[in-house]
Amino acid sequence: MAGPLLLLAFVALVTAILVGVRSSRWWLGLTVAGAVAGLGAALTVLLGAADWEWRSELSLGGELIHLRLDGVSALFLALLSVVGGTGAVYAQEYWSEQHYPASAPRGRAWWSGLGLCMGLVLVSSNGLHFLIAWELFTVCAYFLITLDRRRREVRAAGWLYLAASHAGTVCLFAFFSTLAARTGSWELGPMREQAGLAPLFWLALAGFGVKAGVFPLHVWLPSAHASAPSHVSAILSGVAIKLGLYGIVRFSGWLPVPAAAGWVVIGLGATSALLGIAFALAQNDFKRLLAYCSVENVGVILTGVGAALLAETNGDAAWGRLALAGALLHVWNHGAFKALLFFSAGSVLHATGTREMSKLGGLWRAMPWTAGLFALGAVAVAGLPPLNGFVSEWLVYLGLFDAVTGRGPAAWAAMPAAIMLAMTGALAMAGFAKAGAMIFLGAPRTKPAAHAHECGPVMRGPMLLLAGLCVLIGLSPVLFWPAVARAVGSWRPAWAVAEAPAPLAMLGAVHVVLAVLMVAAAVWLWRKAHALGLRRGLTWDCGYATPTARMQYTSASFAGIAGGWFRWLLQPERTLRRPRGLFPAEAIRLERVPETVLEKLLGPVSVAVMQVSAAARRLQHGRLQSYVVYVVAGLMALGVLVLLGGAP
Amino acid sequence: MMLVLDLILRLALWLLLAPLLPGLINRVKAWVAGRRGPPVLQLYYDLARLWRKGVVMSTLASPGFVAGPAVAWVALTGAALLMPLGPAGATVSFRGDVLMLIYLLALARFCTAWAAMETGSAFEGMGAAREVSYAVLAEAAIITAVLSLSVQTGSVSLVTMLAPSAGAGAVLLAAGLFTVLLAENCRVPFDDPNTHLELTMIHEVMVLDHSGPPLAVILHGASMKLLLFAVLLVQAVLPMGDMSPLAATGALAGGVLAVTVGVGLIESLIARLAFRRVPLLLTTAFLLCLFALLVAWKGNRV
Repeated sequence: MAGPLLLLAFVALVTAILVGVRSSRWWLGLTVAGAVAGLGAALTVLLGAADWEWRSELSLGGELIHLRLDGVSALFLALLSVVGGTGAVYAQEYWSEQHYPASAPRGRAWWSGLGLCMGLVLVSSNGLHFLIAWELFTVCAYFLITLDRRRREVRAAGWLYLAASHAGTVCLFAFFSTLAARTGSWELGPMREQAGLAPLFWLALAGFGVKAGVFPLHVWLPSAHASAPSHVSAILSGVAIKLGLYGIVRFSGWLPVPAAAGWVVIGLGATSALLGIAFALAQNDFKRLLAYCSVENVGVILTGVGAALLAETNGDAAWGRLALAGALLHVWNHGAFKALLFFSAGSVLHATGTREMSKLGGLWRAMPWTAGLFALGAVAVAGLPPLNGFVSEWLVYLGLFDAVTGRGPAAWAAMPAAIMLAMTGALAMAGFAKAGAMIFLGAPRTKPAAHAHECGPVMRGPMLLLAGLCVLIGLSPVLFWPAVARAVGSWRPAWAVAEAPAPLAMLGAVHVVLAVLMVAAAVWLWRKAHALGLRRGLTWDCGYATPTARMQYTSASFAGIAGGWFRWLLQPERTLRRPRGLFPAEAIRLERVPETVLEKLLGPVSVAVMQVSAAARRLQHGRLQSYVVYVVAGLMALGVLVLLGGAP
Repeated sequence: MMLVLDLILRLALWLLLAPLLPGLINRVKAWVAGRRGPPVLQLYYDLARLWRKGVVMSTLASPGFVAGPAVAWVALTGAALLMPLGPAGATVSFRGDVLMLIYLLALARFCTAWAAMETGSAFEGMGAAREVSYAVLAEAAIITAVLSLSVQTGSVSLVTMLAPSAGAGAVLLAAGLFTVLLAENCRVPFDDPNTHLELTMIHEVMVLDHSGPPLAVILHGASMKLLLFAVLLVQAVLPMGDMSPLAATGALAGGVLAVTVGVGLIESLIARLAFRRVPLLLTTAFLLCLFALLVAWKGNRV
């Protein structure tokens, strides 16, 4: 069943690329059809017992085509289909022909191309084809990021993305070619018995880590996510960086891993989570905040994966399954709520034209749908019950806690990881309380914010669908357990478990009760307030009679306390002009949080590399006389070497 | 039938008893200061009065202004029902319920902060910013305390975790949890519930604009949170599981009373900390819990 569906998706997407430039309606139909077919194929594999595999006689680049869809890849394919399909619908209004006559047709074609290539990455089971699909997907994403290429910052972001991605791809080239050289074939598949392959894991971790946006390798992520059109940010954050995680999960499942892998991955994960969210909290650009929050969520997922790897080296402990299941469920959850948040962000951007939170405020009145959906997404992303973010984080926590109570050596990784996750959760809550409040609550800080308008139904539909998914996973996690358990079983056949852990069902039941009571209590209190007489009045600013919008707390001041604890990392740049004279006219205090890793670390290093290269380049200038001197000097040096070395 | 009866009794206990605690604290403070002080039941009167009053809402506020307190209250009640009560156990108990409890408290915090930000008031922004920032350290301390209990008992479920005493690290854990209790419930030395200087407050400043039933819900929720933390602290430290049901009930009640009196005494004897010192004290609480964790790790190996 999966085969024909995948073929259908392939044909639909290829046709969508071809017709996309001409007709938006046909493109939408075909892309959504492709997404539905892809989802169908993924679900057939996830809910069935057998993997789908297809070997063809056709060869591409000298290698026979070999496709495979197992639990792990089907999990990611399902996510790709959902975000790809909803994003296509969203783009129809968000990046419409009227607003962007030049780039909308291009955007449609690249969108389908991106979906197709990511799908190919997921199904290809041959190293060479994997690399080809990987490269194509990177390039498609580049053209989507730079859709609005007239703007300089967009081009810079796209260029950075391309450069960083290729730095990662170099590692992947090394990884796949060494793998092919060691095994004698480009074929991929389970080969855990060849212990000599273990060191290759580090190459894969570096290569896929760049794409996943693991903390020190995340440099491309914030600017690309912030500058891309919002539906592109959604698929980048929801799916593209997940393909990096797919690579890590895939090859830690198929290949043997070094003994230290679990420690490194859980360490990277916990660090990414904590530092990523610290950066997110300090941002003023809401899309950048969401981008950094992706770094955090990748960290949460890697914490779970790392715990699973640790469990394996500790005698296949049961807690590894819980942590891995949590991590894989978080892949879905993060895809759903982050796409929802980026769609809402896009709707705000569409309505106001600014990404700066300090220029927004009070949008709930003009855009109640977007505000409500953003609030829902914020609760989900902060990992609060009763929504989906909590379910997966809870599973990861449970795995970590069981590792601690198991008292093995792994507890020394699990204890700090659990504490860091707790701090991450609290910081995420702070960050999204800030984002929601600055964008939607209070009084509008500028004119565009005051004249905002709600997005149309075509943009609202996909957001509602994703919000529904967040609620559904939160209230009925047991429903989604078989799919996750199937993926865990594909990762390690010995870990296959059919039954959901009993507390998961209980958690779902408690969530349902809580959700019902919360809605009921809110409605009841609202009615009660109205029954007693609800009066509207000025905000009570301690007796101040004319509060203005500029008196509100700003995004930077809200993040000031917690951001201060991370000043060593954030290194904020301040410009301060104090009021002077008897009648001070103006005072300015500007604060900018730089991309620390990029600007303070990578920037200077690359400048140094460029300087050294420029100095070396001076040797080559086209003057024959000097070249003769080089040759003579070289010969003399060789002669001296021979003399000193005493060679015959 | 038993289940429903149990649930009703438990709810009644939590909902009716909680507002007593602030009254007791005020009594202790009055006694230390040599004043007569407000009646012990003052908060009940206040709640009843507020419940009948009308609501004034900022022109800027959305319905979230009213929904926030309601959701926060449900979250706190849910957390209270997850908390076992000595020999009676908990209403619902499952593996990992302790994490749910911590995150329900976080949800309550999110909703309160959200409702505070609705008004666009600088003061309330200030309070919300403080609340969510200090929560980072408080949450780290709580999860560390929970980890130490887990290590002690080998369990991730509140009922079994809280049954034995905290072992050798009990004193450290008690000190750490008590500090977190003071911070999370906005008591001196972190916050002064009596002050009317908005600049110096955390919790009170977030509810400046609330009135009528929503304010009643907020105040009741806050008192329930105080009771929740007191119950958690007492059960974490005392070996409830080893006592007879009667003794355990008595110990729980006595312990909660002792904690309440302790809060009152601290409030009378210590001045509020400067705000930049608050993170320092919370970090101390975290370190106390961390040492409790290490002691538990080193101590009786199961």
